[in-house]
Amino acid sequence: MKSLRAIALILIFLLCGLFIYVAEDIPVFGDPEAPPIKSVKLFTMEVDQVVSLLDQHIIPEKLSRELVKRGFPPPSHIEKIPGIDGEWNAFIAKEEPHYAKEEKYYWIKKEGDSVRVSRYAFVVRWIEKGLEETAVTNMVTYGLADYRGYDTLGETTVIFTAGVSVILLLRRRSRL
Amino acid sequence: MKEERRERNVVVETVARVMIPFVQLFALYVIIHGTGGPGGGFQGGVVFASAFILYTVAFNLAGVKKRFPESANTIFSSLGLYLYAGIGLLAIIFSLGVGQYLNYGFIPFTSHFEENRALGMDFVEMGIGITVMAIIVSIFFDLAQKDEKGSEEEEGEESR
Repeated sequence: MKSLRAIALILIFLLCGLFIYVAEDIPVFGDPEAPPIKSVKLFTMEVDQVVSLLDQHIIPEKLSRELVKRGFPPPSHIEKIPGIDGEWNAFIAKEEPHYAKEEKYYWIKKEGDSVRVSRYAFVVRWIEKGLEETAVTNMVTYGLADYRGYDTLGETTVIFTAGVSVILLLRRRSRL
Repeated sequence: MKEERRERNVVVETVARVMIPFVQLFALYVIIHGTGGPGGGFQGGVVFASAFILYTVAFNLAGVKKRFPESANTIFSSLGLYLYAGIGLLAIIFSLGVGQYLNYGFIPFTSHFEENRALGMDFVEMGIGITVMAIIVSIFFDLAQKDEKGSEEEEGEESR
């Protein structure tokens, strides 16, 4: 019994050390380069009139044409990102009958003499690149166990804690 | 002495006897196919626990406790979490600190990075399944015990 307790204590310390290491390993919150926030570059255009049109929240004809040529849906309206100069969000209209809300889809940034058009990476990584990156066909599973692995580890710990609490509160003489 | 308190029902017992292996097989199917189809650790674990609950409903609590004792239950409930955390730790160990925690691609199951991620996810789902199964069964044991006024407690009172 004594040795069992010693082993348990060592395991608990190992787990504590592991979790301290893991907490150091988590990506920083608010990091603009974090993988879910990154974007995928589509193409660059020349500046000429595009920027002034974008500033007036008008969709430039050239932008829509370039997007449609590459097989992407044209934007339905454009908003300036508040607080940052020279960056815009472009939204597309979704073809859903029940939740007809516009989706934030393109990210337009002025870089010197050119305008860079990118897509937000969430859709690209999760829906289009997921199978390629993880070789798993189930979208829910690679989201749950791979991209959000920390989250699922925490959920399992919550269930474990619930079970141990019930044992301690309800079981006779609280023996494990 | 208290054995005949519960009326035996032949239909329920026979159906339970036939159903329980298939319920358990289905639970394993759901866990194993977590990566290839609809399924996963949480669902499979709950289905597996429901097999034990069905046994309790059809027969009695003492029979389940003989087949799946509480000590084994406690071991299983932490084993799943250790499997999950251990798989995450293996990623650090095999990559010598280069890979992040829970980045399954660095565990050399096969030679492909993506295949490693898929297999790592499989093991993680198994860990989740084991923990959920053991915890659900454990909670059910505790609640049912109180309701049934467990025979063990009454024996203890008599011997006092």
